[in-house]
Amino acid sequence: MTVRLSMQGVMRGAREMAFITASTFLFGVTFGVAARGVGMEGWTALAMSMAVFAGGSQFAALDLWHAPIPWGPLLVATFAVNARHLLLGASLYPWFSGLPPWQRYAAATLLSDANWAQAVQAHAKGERDAGYLIGSGLVMWAAWAAGTGAGAMLATLSAAALKAFGLDLIFVTFFACILVEMRRDGRDDLPWLVAAAAAVAALWWLPPHWHVLVGGVAGGVAGVLRDAGR
Amino acid sequence: MPDAEIALLAIAGMAVVTYATRAGGLWLMVHVPMSRRVESFLRYLSGSVLVALVVPAALQEGGAAWIAVAAAALVMLATKRTLLALVLGVAVGAAYRAL
Repeated sequence: MTVRLSMQGVMRGAREMAFITASTFLFGVTFGVAARGVGMEGWTALAMSMAVFAGGSQFAALDLWHAPIPWGPLLVATFAVNARHLLLGASLYPWFSGLPPWQRYAAATLLSDANWAQAVQAHAKGERDAGYLIGSGLVMWAAWAAGTGAGAMLATLSAAALKAFGLDLIFVTFFACILVEMRRDGRDDLPWLVAAAAAVAALWWLPPHWHVLVGGVAGGVAGVLRDAGR
Repeated sequence: MPDAEIALLAIAGMAVVTYATRAGGLWLMVHVPMSRRVESFLRYLSGSVLVALVVPAALQEGGAAWIAVAAAALVMLATKRTLLALVLGVAVGAAYRAL
């Protein structure tokens, strides 16, 4: 299959992402509840979820949401929390480089952790349609917006009830499944250990939200250095 | 709370910054000449990002997350079926939490 961006790819991505979105919905509910908790109006929380679609940075924004808006800290925090997207995008470049630039940058609009992971897995199985990332992003976006709306409307709704079904465990478990599938014997173990150590160190000693970026770069560099030394 | 216009402006600012991070990685790579070393870096990068998502999250969540991850990994090794491993892993994690 040649590299392209088509509606069929969008539909494939949406279908294969559907189950994972239960976790996105739950996370959206907690954001909606938290937003009302700091006094944000429901429509504002929903507008933010629809326009920004990046949970970590939206939670960070809640801490800064007062009048007057602290523009510098708000935009810097948004960048810092979402800087890991730079790595996700870079890793898709070998796949997307064959597309016209407008398609490449359009496909990145809904890039986030889970649909990136899903797309990487699909690519390993032969998927070449960039629409896959858009479709899987669209169902996540819809679940995120719906969850935010539900949380904001029913601010008393208990996220704990949903947690009882383990819905908050879906993301981390899903990423672990993909790792098992992705692992190459003898090649990935060392870089992945370095990534884990660096991420945990960043979690402990750096400001919040830097651990994915730090772990990702550390593991990537470790792998290349090891190969160069062989 | 900020006025409605200011709130919308702040949301627009966040959206622009966030899109820049989404498109920025692809944009940067246009300016990096592709070599075997860069390709190998990107391949290691994907796995390392996943590791850096999983390990700190499990560390913060504690027992239920580790058990869900371990159960899913075992099912994955045995069957290679992602959805099955995911559902069983989450179910085992939730069951552990309920105990």
